[in-house]
Amino acid sequence: MDMMERLMNLDRRWLYLLVGLAAVIPILAPLNLPVNVSRPVQDLFDRVESLEPGEIIMVSFDYGPSTGPENDPMGDAIILHALARDLRVVVIALYPLGGVTEAREELERCVGDLDPPNGQIASERFPDKVYGRDFIYFGYKDGGLAAMRLMSDNMHEVFPADFYGTPLDEYELGREVQGYDNVAFVMSLATGIIGEWWANLVNAQFGTPVAVGCTAVSAPKYFAYYRAGQMFALLAGLKGAAEYEFLVSQKYPQLAQITDSFIYNAGKGWDVQSVVYSIITLFIIIGNVAFIVERRRQKRGM
Amino acid sequence: MRKHPFPEVSVAAVLLLLAPGYALAQASEEITWGLRMENFAALILFVVFSGVVMTFIRLARGGRDLYIRRIAGLNAVEEAIGRATELGKKVLYVPGIMSIDEVQTLASLAVLKHVAKHTAQYGTPLEVPNKDPLTYAAARETVKEAYLEAGRPDLFNEEVVNYVTYDQFAYTAAVSGKMVREKPAANFLVGSFYAESLLLAEAGQSTGAIQIAGTAEVAQLPFFVTTCDYTLIGEELYAASAYLSREPVMLGSIKGQDIVKFILLCWIVLGILIFTFIGNTAMRDWLLPH
Amino acid sequence: MYKKQFPLLLAFLGGAIPIISFFITTPGDRLKVTTDTLQDWMLIIAGAALLLGVVNLFQINLRKISTRAKGWPNALWLLLSLVIAATFGLADAFGTSVFGIWGGDVAFQWIQDAAFKPLQATMFSLLAFYVASAAFRAFRVRNVEAGILLAAALIIMLGVNPYAVKVLPFLPDATNWIMNIPNAAAQRGIIIGAALGAASFSLRILLGIERSYLGLQKGE
Repeated sequence: MDMMERLMNLDRRWLYLLVGLAAVIPILAPLNLPVNVSRPVQDLFDRVESLEPGEIIMVSFDYGPSTGPENDPMGDAIILHALARDLRVVVIALYPLGGVTEAREELERCVGDLDPPNGQIASERFPDKVYGRDFIYFGYKDGGLAAMRLMSDNMHEVFPADFYGTPLDEYELGREVQGYDNVAFVMSLATGIIGEWWANLVNAQFGTPVAVGCTAVSAPKYFAYYRAGQMFALLAGLKGAAEYEFLVSQKYPQLAQITDSFIYNAGKGWDVQSVVYSIITLFIIIGNVAFIVERRRQKRGM
Repeated sequence: MRKHPFPEVSVAAVLLLLAPGYALAQASEEITWGLRMENFAALILFVVFSGVVMTFIRLARGGRDLYIRRIAGLNAVEEAIGRATELGKKVLYVPGIMSIDEVQTLASLAVLKHVAKHTAQYGTPLEVPNKDPLTYAAARETVKEAYLEAGRPDLFNEEVVNYVTYDQFAYTAAVSGKMVREKPAANFLVGSFYAESLLLAEAGQSTGAIQIAGTAEVAQLPFFVTTCDYTLIGEELYAASAYLSREPVMLGSIKGQDIVKFILLCWIVLGILIFTFIGNTAMRDWLLPH
Repeated sequence: MYKKQFPLLLAFLGGAIPIISFFITTPGDRLKVTTDTLQDWMLIIAGAALLLGVVNLFQINLRKISTRAKGWPNALWLLLSLVIAATFGLADAFGTSVFGIWGGDVAFQWIQDAAFKPLQATMFSLLAFYVASAAFRAFRVRNVEAGILLAAALIIMLGVNPYAVKVLPFLPDATNWIMNIPNAAAQRGIIIGAALGAASFSLRILLGIERSYLGLQKGE
């Protein structure tokens, strides 16, 4: 077997080894690769910037641990951005397998450790922010579409108490949010189909503005909704997350310090993805060169 | 044939529970008989769609010959089972990861019935691992009946249709493991799939199995197309049971659906022309559910 | 006769009630509440079916262990994990402790954090490797169509590469064009076709024409 043939039929494990190395090294030694900000991401940033202090946004954690590396940094960036802009944040979770823990972890990563039932409600990172007034976590609700539909009429029926079991009425922010009319927009951090439901149901039927942060795998599908105006902004995969994180850290250097302190953030993830993309691209080109050379040779031999 | 005790019980239960449930249920005093105007456009579409489809079903019942194009993936079903039979290896059928309230899962069960009938006839081992418990229960009945119809109820046991886990990725790990260890000759990946599509299909590809996939999940289609020998794309999956059964009445519904698609296409083109040249968006706005 | 008609009647009712309640309102909006009740039933039935699944899991794996079939230690480990996770989960749900040592919620959270999350993330991240090998194998210029597909793939992958963009500044625009025009057009085509296909399939179920999912055959 000559070299060209060997290249074409390369054992896939060599490729796996390279991809594995490319995934580990940039996390340990960040490359800080640049990102180009795309329109759908800029749309989200501009919308958050355009809101008045005190307005409320809702962040829905509609993913589980498996897509955490893509969705987590999106959640961090939007929560940090909103709090830096003095917006108020309502966090909910609709994904059955793990959304509830993802939401709590990302919220605590942004504001610091919380224990509201035992009185620990002040944010460590944002000294003037308090749980229940500036941000709140309603917890998880089962039922996806049905829950979303009900939330428009009566938020408190869907979430009678917050994540920690305290009735919503006991918190200022909890009392204020009775339905979608009270929030400026909903940001869904989605894997699979829940982001589509926000567009199809909540945006289409109730007119609530919706933005989605989706995994790269489902991005092509979400672009169709973005183009149709059913969502006003779209963070597509790690790249979208990295772009948003970049925009936020440019405008608010104090937030850049926070995200830089994370073991993992979108910037590091984007380094990994860029390198892996490059490896795949390189291998596709090599494979095709070998393929074309081999085919020419066969034709000549005939 | 053994008498099924469940239907009477369940119908009685439905009526007993629904009737007082309906009588007691009350969301709001103010609401009376009426149309939900926010869904009016959908109602018109629903009436047109049902009307056209039912007309074609009637035409088909009347004996009208209806042409349906060839679907390569479905023609390959028997080839795949044949190959498994020749090699003396098993056929693996994955009915997707969603429950039976997902139409794709029901469409998959219809294909499963066809596959199970053939494996039973040839005596080829079949395995159907499940992620969703309701799908598991339904798939078990489907396969059991298929074996009975093929005259081989003796071949059915608890291991043919089995339950694995409710977790998406644990399920993926289990099924990929089966593919690599047991090397089935044919893998069917038909139904609703998400992130596990490529994990399953690439594991199957590495074992050299003939793979037939089918899904309406648009985001997963590229993965199936690159890793499987045949892929049923979107509506082909829903047409599969009609195509495989060759029942004229079922084919009639496919034909009707194509006509509605043509009507919608005309609507879209007309809307685009009107918007482009006159600037009026009424045709689009009417379809929006606001 | 029962076997044929009653399941079909059930399927018809289960499908027709939500459809009617989507289009019309009844006094007191009772039909919509009934629809919600039907959805609750589905959850309850799913719970019961899960029990059926667990029984099946035990049957198969206990047989594997008792006959010392190939890989039986794995079967044993599977059942052990199931029992441990279920015990901790139930302790969490009922707010009791496990063996009087750990609080149920702590123990269950530990399983989530220490096992469930990393295992899930591991499986998901395998995608990176599989995408690489699938792309390497699939993207070959075998014919004109494959060539177009390859060109589009290269533009998109290079279009997000920061260094490639420096050399070829038109790439992000080309990427956006591909995603927004040909990609969105194809996606919509498939989505519309699939939606109509699903509607027609559902109609066949409602009318009782499609019955293979019930294990029934034609004319039965």
